[in-house]
Amino acid sequence: MAETPIPLEVRNITKRFGDTDVLKGLSLEARKGDVITLIGASGSGKSTFLRCMNLLEQPDEGELIVHGEAIRFKETKHGREPADWQQVVNMRAKLSMVFQNFNLWAHMTLLENIIEAPVHVLGKPRKEAIEQAHVLLERVGLTERANAYPAQMSGGQQQRGAIARALAMDPEVMLFDEPTSALDPELVGDVLKVMRGLADEGRTMILVTHEMAFARDVSTEVIYLHQGVIEESGPPEAVFGNPRSERLKQFLAPKH
Amino acid sequence: MDTLMSRLEALLADNSIFTLQTLGYYGEGLVTTVQLVFLSLVIGLVLAIPLAIGRGSRHRWISLPIFLYCYVFRGTPLLVQLYLIYYGVVFVEGIQDTWLWVLLEKPFVPALVAFTLNTAAYTTEIFRGAIKATPRGEIEAARAYGMTQRLMLRRIVLPSAFRRALPAYGNEVIFMLHASAIASVVTIMDLTGAARFVYARFYAPFDAFLFVAAIYLCLTFAILYLFRYLEKRLLAHLKPAGG
Repeated sequence: MAETPIPLEVRNITKRFGDTDVLKGLSLEARKGDVITLIGASGSGKSTFLRCMNLLEQPDEGELIVHGEAIRFKETKHGREPADWQQVVNMRAKLSMVFQNFNLWAHMTLLENIIEAPVHVLGKPRKEAIEQAHVLLERVGLTERANAYPAQMSGGQQQRGAIARALAMDPEVMLFDEPTSALDPELVGDVLKVMRGLADEGRTMILVTHEMAFARDVSTEVIYLHQGVIEESGPPEAVFGNPRSERLKQFLAPKH
Repeated sequence: MDTLMSRLEALLADNSIFTLQTLGYYGEGLVTTVQLVFLSLVIGLVLAIPLAIGRGSRHRWISLPIFLYCYVFRGTPLLVQLYLIYYGVVFVEGIQDTWLWVLLEKPFVPALVAFTLNTAAYTTEIFRGAIKATPRGEIEAARAYGMTQRLMLRRIVLPSAFRRALPAYGNEVIFMLHASAIASVVTIMDLTGAARFVYARFYAPFDAFLFVAAIYLCLTFAILYLFRYLEKRLLAHLKPAGG
């Protein structure tokens, strides 16, 4: 039996914005069931790194291998671009993203948001997608809000809805970009609870977060970024319990 | 039907201006106005959608001509455009020998062309603004979920933009209805044309034009009502909870 390919491999990603090197050669490997947390101060490049993984940002250099398939790039006068956009589209359908600001489509109800990509991108039969959506809504505790529009829901509900939308793609890897940073403190718990459930069932996840206690609890690996470089990484017990670098110690020190 | 007609006749008996004959003129004028406005709006709308998309294109050779077209048609009076198209086509060499002349000879088609080009220019700008105002995050989500440009346009950007454009487009429809009154200057017997005729025949400006004003008001009311209904249905997502 052939070994199943690694869901996501990233090698030596670099990214410049103007004169600033934002990412200076970052690599990461997400095996099945891994929960990898990216931490670091704002400006350390962790969100940009995450956004390079599904090419919402175009990395200047580096490789991206999704489920064993390397994304092909070509050089243009505007810099490096994917050689085959269809390949990128297929790749993105395997990686679902959950955004800081939820980014649900405002003109659709929550249910429509959830079935949109499965029906129109994956070509799933509508009826099947709706049945699946109801299961997911129940899972994130939003059964009653299926026909609500995003503007009618609280931030926490929108984010749980966005997680249901991501799950509906049955993704290889889920990318979370600061999923609780835009939420009122009392709404954070519900979202984290849903995410913890996903980690427990063995979902492959990569997340950028400021919730250190959560990262320590659920991660299989923690990566600390500083100015576009991986300063330290390892299992959460080591990174949080016994930080080696001075910067990470400072970063983790309780703030007053 | 007969009793209705005879009642109407009785009502009109002691009135020398509003006879069955002049009411017939107004009726035909109403049909012409509605045809002219409806057709130009529909064709203009169909033209405006691709134009609005092209207007936002990165390629200058697509966006620049569309910008110039919109600029010219929004920057000059509709009446002047109508004159240019109605009187101007005659001077295009050889046009009278082509099949086009059958259409352009009568004033209806030149007026329809002028109105269509005019409303398409305004509608293009309305849609362009609405497309540009699509929340960035929603576009990003569409890309992140594997949508192609085309699918994203069809499922996310355009449906969202149409809804945003609705109130402004409702204004444009009312504007076109009222602007259509100038069709009468190129001898079209639209509503205003009928009113001018009645005025000229009886020298009764108040009767002739107040009556036609009332008809325009009724039409405007119908349009307002239609758009209010559409907004209620299509803009439901903008209302906060419990609204």
